[in-house]
Amino acid sequence: MNRRSQHSSLLLFLSFWLTASSDVHAQQTLVQRESARVETIGRISPGVVCVMAPNGEGGGSGVLISADGFAISNFHVTSGSGSFMKCGLDNGKLYDAVIVGIDPTGDVALIQLQGRTDFVAAQPGDSDQVRVGDEVMALGNPFLLASDFTPTVTYGIVSGVRRYQYPANTFLEYTDCIQIDASINPGNSGGPLFDIQGRWIGINGRASFEKRGRVNSGAAYAISVNQVQLFIEHLKCGLIVDHGVPEFTVETVEGEVVVSQVSELSEAWRRGLRSRAKIVSFAGRLVSSANDFQNVLGIYPEGTRLPLTWRDKEGVHSATIRLRPLHDFQKAPELPEERKPKDEKHPEAPGDEKQKFEAPEELPKELTRLFVERDGFCNYHFNEVQQSKLLDPLRARIGTKGDLKNVWQISLASSGSKTTDSKTPPISLTGELTIGPTAAGLKLDGVPYLQNAENPVAAEEPVQLPGLLTAVLQLRKLLSGEKTAFNEQLAMGQTLHLPLQKSVDILVTREGARTSRWYFTSESPFPVGVDVEYGQGIDEARLIFENWQESENVVFPGRIGIVAGVQEQLIWLTTGDVKVKQ
Amino acid sequence: MTAVLRRKIAIFQILVGVIVVLASPTATLMAQTPSPTHLEVVALWQPVIVKLFGAGEGSLDSYGTGILVSKEGHVLTVWNHLVSTGFLTAVTADGKRFPVDTIGTSAEHDAALLKLKTEPDETFPYVDLAQATDPELGSSVYAFSNMFRVAAGNEPVSVVHGVIAARVPLEATQGRWKFPVKSPIWLIDAITNNSGAAGGLLTDAAGMPVGLIGREIRHASSRTWVNYAVPLTMLRPVVEALMAGRKIDQRPKDATSDVPMISDKDLTAKYGLTMVPNVVERTPAFVDDVAKDSLSGKSGLQRGDLIVLVEDAVITSITDFQQQLAAFRTGQRVSLTINRDDELKAIELRIP
Repeated sequence: MNRRSQHSSLLLFLSFWLTASSDVHAQQTLVQRESARVETIGRISPGVVCVMAPNGEGGGSGVLISADGFAISNFHVTSGSGSFMKCGLDNGKLYDAVIVGIDPTGDVALIQLQGRTDFVAAQPGDSDQVRVGDEVMALGNPFLLASDFTPTVTYGIVSGVRRYQYPANTFLEYTDCIQIDASINPGNSGGPLFDIQGRWIGINGRASFEKRGRVNSGAAYAISVNQVQLFIEHLKCGLIVDHGVPEFTVETVEGEVVVSQVSELSEAWRRGLRSRAKIVSFAGRLVSSANDFQNVLGIYPEGTRLPLTWRDKEGVHSATIRLRPLHDFQKAPELPEERKPKDEKHPEAPGDEKQKFEAPEELPKELTRLFVERDGFCNYHFNEVQQSKLLDPLRARIGTKGDLKNVWQISLASSGSKTTDSKTPPISLTGELTIGPTAAGLKLDGVPYLQNAENPVAAEEPVQLPGLLTAVLQLRKLLSGEKTAFNEQLAMGQTLHLPLQKSVDILVTREGARTSRWYFTSESPFPVGVDVEYGQGIDEARLIFENWQESENVVFPGRIGIVAGVQEQLIWLTTGDVKVKQ
Repeated sequence: MTAVLRRKIAIFQILVGVIVVLASPTATLMAQTPSPTHLEVVALWQPVIVKLFGAGEGSLDSYGTGILVSKEGHVLTVWNHLVSTGFLTAVTADGKRFPVDTIGTSAEHDAALLKLKTEPDETFPYVDLAQATDPELGSSVYAFSNMFRVAAGNEPVSVVHGVIAARVPLEATQGRWKFPVKSPIWLIDAITNNSGAAGGLLTDAAGMPVGLIGREIRHASSRTWVNYAVPLTMLRPVVEALMAGRKIDQRPKDATSDVPMISDKDLTAKYGLTMVPNVVERTPAFVDDVAKDSLSGKSGLQRGDLIVLVEDAVITSITDFQQQLAAFRTGQRVSLTINRDDELKAIELRIP
C-alpha cells in the first residue's frame, strides 16, 4: 500500500467514526445504556453502607459482603469510631455494627452489621480483568450528604490499573490498585467501586489531593477486590492482619527485576536466591519492575507461601517462600493526624441527623458480648468463633479417645515421590516410627533417630525425611484434644496450600519457639497438613496428611507427604496400623 | 501516524465490525457506522505520551508530560518551568529513558518543541498533527497525562474523561505570569489542572487528537483552577515552523515596555547585588557580584548563580528579573530558585 492510499483509508474510517455520534441508533443505544445503568444502580445500592461513629460524627462508607452482615470498609474509616459503630443502609434504616478485623497496611476493615440475616451482599467481580477505559461507578456517602443513607453515585472511567501508591508518611500502602477519575470525596472512603455491570471491583480509599484540599482531583485509588478477597477470611478471625516481606530486596534495572540484597536467614537464601539474580515471576505473575514486584507482594497477607521463579548464571530456578511479617502490630496502630477521619459532614448540611443519637447510649448486652479485647487481636470474640469451627469437629470425632500416656508404634514405607528433577532416583525407604508423650524415634533402614518433644532440634531429624519427628510430636498433641495442649492457639484465616493447591483454613498453635500452622478443609475434621517452624533461619517441617485411619482407638494418617530439600521434593510415606503400647 | 497505528486502527475497524455483526440485531445498520470503543482509543494513544522529568522547586513539580509528534522523536509540550530550567529526561511508553534537547519555543502559544536524543534509526509511534480536529461543544474527550507521577517506568499514563465545555479566549494567571495565548482554547470538565498533567494529550471519543493539556493556572477573575487545552489545529503550524528551524518570538514585545523595574543602581545599592553586564536583549540572569553583609549576601546568593525562578515565575533574562523583583513590597520575603553548578537551590531574599 503506498502512503497516499494508507492515508485515505484512514480518513475513511475516521469519517465513519465521526458520523456515529450523530446516528439515530447511537442515540437509542444511549437511552438503553442509561436505563441499564439506572437498573444496575437500583440493584447494587442495598449493599452500600454508610459507616458512622456511635455519636453520629465522622464516618465513611462500606459494602456488605454476606447475608449475615459482614461488610468491608477502610481501616482509616473505622479506626475513628471505636469497637462499635452505626451503619445506615439505603432503606433508611440504621443498624448496629461491631468491628471484626483490620488490615492497617492495606487500609481495610471488616465489620459486622447486626439485626438481620438477609442483608443484600455485593457480588464481587474479578479486578484482574479491569482495563483502562472501563466505565465504573463509585457508591458511598461523600460529605455524609444523604440523611436517609441513600448512596451517592459518581461515574467515571478507569484511569490506570495495577498502580502502586507509596505509604507516604504513614503505614497505609496501596498496591495493585485501580485508579479512577470518578469523583471521590471525604466520606467516600471504604465504599465500593462497581463496574458498569454492577460487579464489585474495589474499595475506594485514597485520592491524590493537592492544591484543592481534600476534594476530588480526578485521581482516586481503589483497593482491588481480589486483594480484599485474599484478606476476608483472615479478617473474619478478628485479627490485626499483617502484610508480608520476602526477606530480600529488588530494584528495576533496564526493564528487569534484579535482586539487590538477600537476608542469609531467609527461606529464599536457603533455596539458592542470591543478589544480582533476576526475578522472572512471583506468585505466578510475570514481573518487569520493582513496582510490579511490590504490587504482587502487597496483595497477600503475612504467612502466605508463594511461588518464586528467578534466573541466574546457572539457569532458571523455582521455589516457594513464606512471607514474613511486615509490621507485626500488637495493637491497632495510630494514624498520622492528617489521615484521621475528620468530621466529613457537608458544611451546608443541616445538623439534624446528628441529634438523633447524640446522647451516648448504653450498648445492649447482645452487642457487647460480640467484642472481646485481647492483645494482638482486633476482636478476639471472632477468633474464638473460628477456632470452634475448626476444632469442634475434631474434638467431637476424637471424643474421649485422646491418648496422653501411651506409646504409638507405626511402620513406614515410602510410596513414591514427586520431584521436579527427573534425574533424582525415586526414594525407597522403610522404617519404624515410635511416638511417645515426650519423644519420638525413627529407625530408618536400620539407622536410629531420636527427637524430644520439649525442645526439638532440626539437626536431629532424619536427613531423608526432615521434620517428620517434630511434626508427628505436634500432631500427637493436637490429637490429644486437650485445650491446653499448646501455649496458644488461634484461627488465622484461609490460604492456598502449596503444594496441595487447595484452599485451606489455618489454625496456628504455638509452644516454646515452635509455631505450627495446621490446615483444615470442610471435608474432614482432621487436618490435611501442618507446617512447623523451628525458628528463624531453619527450614520448616512441612507435612501433608491423607487417608486418616483408626486402629486401637488411635486416629492417624494412612499416608504422609513430606516436602524435603532445596528442590522441595514431595516424598510420600504409607503408614501401617498404629500399635499402642502401655 | 506510524504503520503500527494505522494497522491498529484497521484492526479496530474489522473487529468492531465483526463483533457488531455477530452480536446485534441491528447489525447491518451499525456495521456501517462503527465507532471505536474507549478501550480502543486508550490503547491507541497511550503509547505516544512521554513522561517528562526535570527540575522543580517548591510548588513547582519536577515532572510533566509530552506528546510525540514525529516518527523521529519530536515531543510537543507546554513551555513551563520544566523546559526553562533544563535537565529534562523523557520516558517513553516502553519505559526507555532519553535525554532531551529543546528545539524551540513559542511564548505566544505557550508551547515548546523538544527532541529525544535517540539512536539514528530509532522511530516512535506519534500523533500526526495533520489529523488534529476541532470537536463540537459537548463532545466527549479523553485526557492522557503523567498526572501526579502515578505511573512509573513503562506503566501506562493516566486517562481521565470529560466533555468539551467551551471554546473561549482564556484570561488566566500563574503568579505574575499571564497566559499568553490570545486565540480561543478548549475548556473541559475533566480535571486536568493537576500536577504533571501539562503537556498531555486531549482526544475526542472517536480517537482524533484535539489539544495540548495546559498548565496549572487560575482564571484571572474567578481565581478558580482552569482545566483547558490548547487546540492542536492551532499548534500544528507552530510545530512545523519549529521543526523547520524557524524562530518564533520568545515573548510578546509589549510585555517588556512600561513595566516597573529595579534599576541596576538600586540593585547594587539596596540589595548588594550586581548582575553580569546586560549586553543583549535576553541576557541570562547570572549573578556577577554579591556584597558580603548585604541582603543578597545574607540570603546566600553567590557569584555565578543563575536566577531561574522568582516565586513561581520563570526568569528569562536580567530585565525580567528586575521587573519581577519590583512587584514585591518592602519587608516581603521572596523565594528565589537558582541554578548553582547544575543543581537547583531555593533561597529566600528579603525586599529592602
